[in-house]
Amino acid sequence: MNDVEIWYLMIPIAMVFVAIAIVVFFWSVKSDQFEDLDRHGSDILFDDDDVAHQQAQRKDPLNLQQPGSHKQGDAKQKDQHDHSA
Amino acid sequence: MAGCFHCGEALPTGSTHQLEMEGVTQPFCCPGCLAVAETIIDCGLGSYYQHRSAPAPKADTVPDELKQLQHYDLAEIQQDFVSDKDNLKEVQLSISGLSCAACAWLIERHLARVPGVSLIQVNTTTERARLRWHDEQVPLSRLLAAFADIGYQARPFQPHQQEQVYNREVKSYLLRMGVAGIASMQVMMVALALYEDLFPGTDADLVEYFRWISLWLSIPVMAYSALPFYRNAWRGLKNRALNMDLPVSLAMVFAFVASVYATVTRTGDVYYECVSMFAFLLLTGRFLEMRAKRRASETTANLTLLVPMLARVETEDGEQEIAAKILQPGQTVLVAPGSQIPADAQILDGSTSVDESMLTGEHLPVTRHRGDTVFAGTTNMESPLRLRVLRPLADARVSEILRAQDDALAEKPRVAILADQLSRYFVAALLLVTLATYLVWLQLDADKAFWVMLSVLVATCPCALSLATPTALTVATSRLSRSGVLVRRAHVLDTLPRVNRIVFDKTGTLTRGEVAVTSVTLLAELSEPQILSIAAALEAQSEHPIARAFRPYLDEQFQVSERENRVGRGVSGLVGGTRWRLGSGAWLAPDNQDAELCVYLANEQGLVARFALTDPLREEAEALIHDCRARGIATTILTGDSSGQAEQVAERLGVDTLIKHASPDDKLAYLRRCDQAGDICLMVGDGINDAPVLAGAHVSFAMAGGTDIAKSSADAIMLADDLRHILTARHISARCRRVIKQNFSWALGYNLVILPLAAMGQVSPWLAMAGMSVSSLIVMTNSLRLSRL
Repeated sequence: MNDVEIWYLMIPIAMVFVAIAIVVFFWSVKSDQFEDLDRHGSDILFDDDDVAHQQAQRKDPLNLQQPGSHKQGDAKQKDQHDHSA
Repeated sequence: MAGCFHCGEALPTGSTHQLEMEGVTQPFCCPGCLAVAETIIDCGLGSYYQHRSAPAPKADTVPDELKQLQHYDLAEIQQDFVSDKDNLKEVQLSISGLSCAACAWLIERHLARVPGVSLIQVNTTTERARLRWHDEQVPLSRLLAAFADIGYQARPFQPHQQEQVYNREVKSYLLRMGVAGIASMQVMMVALALYEDLFPGTDADLVEYFRWISLWLSIPVMAYSALPFYRNAWRGLKNRALNMDLPVSLAMVFAFVASVYATVTRTGDVYYECVSMFAFLLLTGRFLEMRAKRRASETTANLTLLVPMLARVETEDGEQEIAAKILQPGQTVLVAPGSQIPADAQILDGSTSVDESMLTGEHLPVTRHRGDTVFAGTTNMESPLRLRVLRPLADARVSEILRAQDDALAEKPRVAILADQLSRYFVAALLLVTLATYLVWLQLDADKAFWVMLSVLVATCPCALSLATPTALTVATSRLSRSGVLVRRAHVLDTLPRVNRIVFDKTGTLTRGEVAVTSVTLLAELSEPQILSIAAALEAQSEHPIARAFRPYLDEQFQVSERENRVGRGVSGLVGGTRWRLGSGAWLAPDNQDAELCVYLANEQGLVARFALTDPLREEAEALIHDCRARGIATTILTGDSSGQAEQVAERLGVDTLIKHASPDDKLAYLRRCDQAGDICLMVGDGINDAPVLAGAHVSFAMAGGTDIAKSSADAIMLADDLRHILTARHISARCRRVIKQNFSWALGYNLVILPLAAMGQVSPWLAMAGMSVSSLIVMTNSLRLSRL
């Protein structure tokens, strides 16, 4: 294979890569990955394996009857009421 | 001194709210913030505090507001904004206080723990969340309360229909741009080898091979990426209008077809790289433009929250809550203090004060008794009412104003847009010259005629020209939103520099729109701070604007018992064993004649103090009027207020014209007169009563604190409540206009130079390519200068 003929091999290979790039690009646009560019850069900072967080998660199934959200809401209302009275 | 650990606000005196976290005791400003921080820490989400980039909003959720969340569970309310997917319900929420990635993380982690939630996705760019949940496991109101637990206010809203269209367009432009970008990189790489002038003596077989490769690579560009150009050009032709897309489409289609012909027959020049590059550069411009439009539409939608208006109707089988829009005349409704009046109605029982500011622009409530008429959308401030509905919501006063707004918008005076006029002539001239070139060459050398015409089309393709306006407008728009002005309609930037009269609404625009204590006259032996604290304690639970004026003086040392509200008069209560009364002059000091707004404080011995209250001017108002005068812009105050305060304000600020006691119709009539006199007016306002004028002015700004209706009828919104941004915006738009003109001169100048060369057959493909890319890049760079103003 001389130095001109190598093009006949290299360029088709490049075309395959181009096709892959386009497919990946379409997939990423369609799955909304370009919708929020500010945020995901800092995702790595947050530690989901935090011990306290994991404990809170394990605790949760026991609270099924009365989810944390509701209880906290009531607590806060009461708290504010006490303050103003 | 350090502020509140959660929201960063100053700690009030005597505050004792504290929480120990990771061994350090942190102070809090209020029980709201404390509760929020407790929830966050209990859920193990404390790393929010380490990584956030801005303090959280103050978490002062009023219990009433939490109770009102239940309204969102009613099926007839939900049908406006909830969509069903399989067995799940889905809603779009607008979240206030969302400032950084840490907030998004916190919300997603917290909401995902609530049983019944199947999907929560937070977008920090749009400040929105998408929530999908099992309705039978958890009601929507509880999910909204879960947002409140961690200190965010989430409310459903209706995305504009326009916005969904923008969304689709942005995505499709992004895809087309990506394809054109990737393809043009490859084509360009191959094309370089084909430039005979630069690399003479390339192997003939290899040249043919490269040409075929380029052909295949540019097919997706022609068949997919460039579709919008063909479509626009065709639409233009059908409407008998010449637009910029016509020469673009012609150049691309001719160049491509000729290149294919040249490739197959092994003759002539190929222009594949030009075609791909055109598509890429032009699509970049369109994409940025479309994204800026979508951003403006999203922010506006977020600002206009969907608050369901409900009515408690008295029926034979008891009380029942229904949506206000289905109320019928003659029905009896009950309105609790603090809630909105759902219809234009007559008072059957009760008397109260009503906040009519949304209709009249006046911030002080008016007293309404039995038999008086109250209007839909106003707020009942003091005591419960029984009302008889007079007309359906569609005919209410507020709906009439909305209709006036629509009419005004349809008749809006327009200032002709520079770019449109210019490009029309340019396109016509270009097509004529191309045709002439072809005809002349047909006489000289018929074989070359087609190729010369093609090189004229390609070399003069108005790529830079099509980018001139959109890039400048896009950069200027994003620059403006950085300084707190959200541009909703594109003509703002074109019209603003030509404005020679600014018309202001008074209350809420030039003034703060809330009363404050300006002076205290002591009438007994007590200290001023003590008096103010007692007054504040008495008014602590009221939402009346006068009560809010005392709120900064609240001290927890004074507690009130046996508080009693007297409609239209004031309030009384026991503080430290003494009975205190705080109220109007008519009630407590009937002998005093007051020119200004006053309230009095009295105890068992008699009068103790007199408080003078005013609606203070915004700090920057004076400087603004001064600057306007220096720039030769006339100013007008246009107000519905008929009191003497209007004159005081006009005099203090040195405003040129004052029109007071004006109804929404009068206001619109005034603007029409200005228009006929040749003035180009900028209207600045905030209330519903301003909506028709905002819609009808040449260009209009709404204040961030204004009503939703004002915001949706204005051309731009001032996100930060700072009037000085008006002049900043004017300055930036003047610069933007200059940049557009520069871009045009450059693009036209380049075309004028290249045109004779191309017509003489002296422009080879690589020169056309380089010239086009360089001039487009220069135009883009020039536009980018706007962002550094």
